[in-house]
Amino acid sequence: MKYILMMQFPLGDWKTKSIEAWPPQDVKAHMDFLRRFNKELNDAGEFVRTEGLGGPEQMKIVRAGKDGSPAVTDGPFPESKEVLAGYWIIDVETPQRAIELAARASAAPGPGGVPLNMPIEVRPVMMSSASGEI
Amino acid sequence: MKYMLMMNTPRDGYAKYLSWPKQLIAANTDFMHAFARKLAGAGELVSAMGLASPVQAKLVRAGDDGQPVTDGVFPETKEFLAGYWIVQVENAARAYEIAAEASTAPGMGDSPLVIEVREVMSAPP
Repeated sequence: MKYILMMQFPLGDWKTKSIEAWPPQDVKAHMDFLRRFNKELNDAGEFVRTEGLGGPEQMKIVRAGKDGSPAVTDGPFPESKEVLAGYWIIDVETPQRAIELAARASAAPGPGGVPLNMPIEVRPVMMSSASGEI
Repeated sequence: MKYMLMMNTPRDGYAKYLSWPKQLIAANTDFMHAFARKLAGAGELVSAMGLASPVQAKLVRAGDDGQPVTDGVFPETKEFLAGYWIVQVENAARAYEIAAEASTAPGMGDSPLVIEVREVMSAPP
């Protein structure tokens, strides 16, 4: 069963509390944790992919104009409370295992090496494709 | 450059989708399949995922002992990720073109499909 684990970050705290505002040694400890975590997932055959996303200041909202050409505005949506900072796709045997792994990710070290215990949104994946065949 | 194109939905979006006329759901699904095949054929598709309804979403964090603490999703959240494409393209303009094409997916016409475009950073190996 595939699941997505999403690191949702409060939009209002992005400038002051996101990893972009941490001291270099804390960023390094966080990245070391992510490398270990990803390697463990990979060794266990549970890793599908992970990605970190650019900050909200680079976010764009796109819709098709009448002629199909892109109408681009700066994001995020005004009503957004959280921003997706990154995610993992995992392939696991049970929903319980997805929740265990989400808790591991949640405890990634933050400023001062203290576990962030950040909220991770866990959702089942319905369909996936890298080949165009859904 | 890699970009993530995200489709969002309100909390009741999945229930609404399932109430569409059958032929409209089929037209939407056919569009999505053809779109993914076209991107893959152009070598621009890295990954495409459709997510299950936010009704099934859980919010998980580690407690002080590292064990999972499970909750419902953020009660104030209005928009949920319904699915996304990761595309590999030459520049942002091309990512916006692809997003605009995704935006033309057939629907009820009551709320135009808007696509959020984010650059993907390099992930730790």
